[in-house]
Amino acid sequence: MAVTVSRFGRRLLGVVVFAAALGIWEAWARSEGSFLVPPASAVAERAGQVWPTTDFLITVAASLKRLAAGFVIGAGIGVAVGLMMGSSRRTRRTLEPLTEFSRAIPPIAIVPVAIVLLGLGDAMRIAVIAFAVCFPVLVNTIEGVRAVSPEARDTASMLHVSSVGRTFRIYFPAALPCIVAGLRIAVAIGLLMVVISEFVGEGDGLGRYILFQQSQFNIPEMYGGILFLGLLGYVLNRLFLLAERRVLAWHYGAAGGPAP
Amino acid sequence: MIASAPAVLRVAQLGKRYSSEGPAALSGVSFDVAEGELLAVVGPSGCGKTTLLRLLCGLTPPSDGAVLFNGRPVLRPPREFALVFQDYSRSLFPWLSVLRNVMFSLRGVGLPKAERVVRAETVLEELGLHGVARKYPWELSGGMQQRVALGRALVSRPEILLLDEPFASVDALTRAELQDVLLRVHGSTEGRRVTIVHVTHDIDEAVYLADRVLILSPAPGHVVRSIEVGLARPRAQTATRSSPRFLAVRNEIHVVIAARQE
Repeated sequence: MAVTVSRFGRRLLGVVVFAAALGIWEAWARSEGSFLVPPASAVAERAGQVWPTTDFLITVAASLKRLAAGFVIGAGIGVAVGLMMGSSRRTRRTLEPLTEFSRAIPPIAIVPVAIVLLGLGDAMRIAVIAFAVCFPVLVNTIEGVRAVSPEARDTASMLHVSSVGRTFRIYFPAALPCIVAGLRIAVAIGLLMVVISEFVGEGDGLGRYILFQQSQFNIPEMYGGILFLGLLGYVLNRLFLLAERRVLAWHYGAAGGPAP
Repeated sequence: MIASAPAVLRVAQLGKRYSSEGPAALSGVSFDVAEGELLAVVGPSGCGKTTLLRLLCGLTPPSDGAVLFNGRPVLRPPREFALVFQDYSRSLFPWLSVLRNVMFSLRGVGLPKAERVVRAETVLEELGLHGVARKYPWELSGGMQQRVALGRALVSRPEILLLDEPFASVDALTRAELQDVLLRVHGSTEGRRVTIVHVTHDIDEAVYLADRVLILSPAPGHVVRSIEVGLARPRAQTATRSSPRFLAVRNEIHVVIAARQE
């Protein structure tokens, strides 16, 4: 007989595995007994003291502001260029070599260039975040538009829908499930670029915070910063899924599958 | 009488090749469609039925010949034409409600929104779609979705309705239901009747619905025979299908197609 695990059971299993990982960390750190390897409980205790402070919240806010700015710019460019490239074969052929090449560059390698061009401030940080965010959104938008059914395109032709009308009334909504999937990938990459960009230059933010605590040998604080980033990434992803379920209710209904 | 009605659609020596060296999909297709006529086009699969329909409505340009609508060549889809596809799930917009799907056809017609809503609701009522205006297409059965697709085609009050195997994706009972919906649509238009070109591979359906059946040859498709159905209207599934005339026409079409395939 196959072992059937209920939904609740599977969820519980996930929690157990997570708790076990914390337990192993705790046990290992205690057996090391070194201040460089603080146990999970010590990190949690320090986080409980540090996270609610105004200083820490300002640090988080600085990072989130950069993420938001870079994300909006990058996603905007990704969607706009993606709609153009998806709907016109000529535009796609013209721009594809450029976008495919730029996409292949690990976005972290752009940081030195951005520093040269924009200095060590927020302009540089927002630019590299936007650069990295742009590509997953671009690629998914193009895919989404290209997947528009021939019947939908023919319907537009029969009704004399203008190319602007097609783009906004048909291609954009049809591609939206793909675009949103791209945005969700982009959030994670954006967060990565926030931290990387804060490692260089002066200023604030979570990346700088982690680096600073490390340099001061405030090891529990350093781990606390890292855990907070993990939590932030998790919460952002959850929020996205929640929004997705509301905005794309029609898509999950039409696809017949459950929402992710 | 249909026979004496003027030809609203003329097809003259129509041919289509998709590439200059490739085989022709259609070659030398000529026929007229009278105003108000319901013409069915049958033929073996791959004979270019869908290509013919695309050429008729100007979605694909012909390689040879021309399609004339009221004497003018069709170069791009005329406003007076509407097309219904086989695959309703791909032609309806899943992000729009049923009502908005139907209203989509009235964009750019210059009607105020309230008027567009009323027209769309009226069409939905006529097609037997009560209380589904606010639902989404995927919440409906396949037959209901195809009714919505039909509604989207009819709401702009087209002169020419082109149907590409519209009932091929639904079960037999629903198909019979939809056939009768189509007959009602064709019969009920006050004043001038809508002219319908119905492409199908279902010979019984063609005979049951049409005034006349065109038989296409295997590729490159051309018209092999045009058969007047001559069955009285209104038609009814059991009575019409069991009449001697129905069986005779149906058998004649089978014989013609079988002869061409040898």
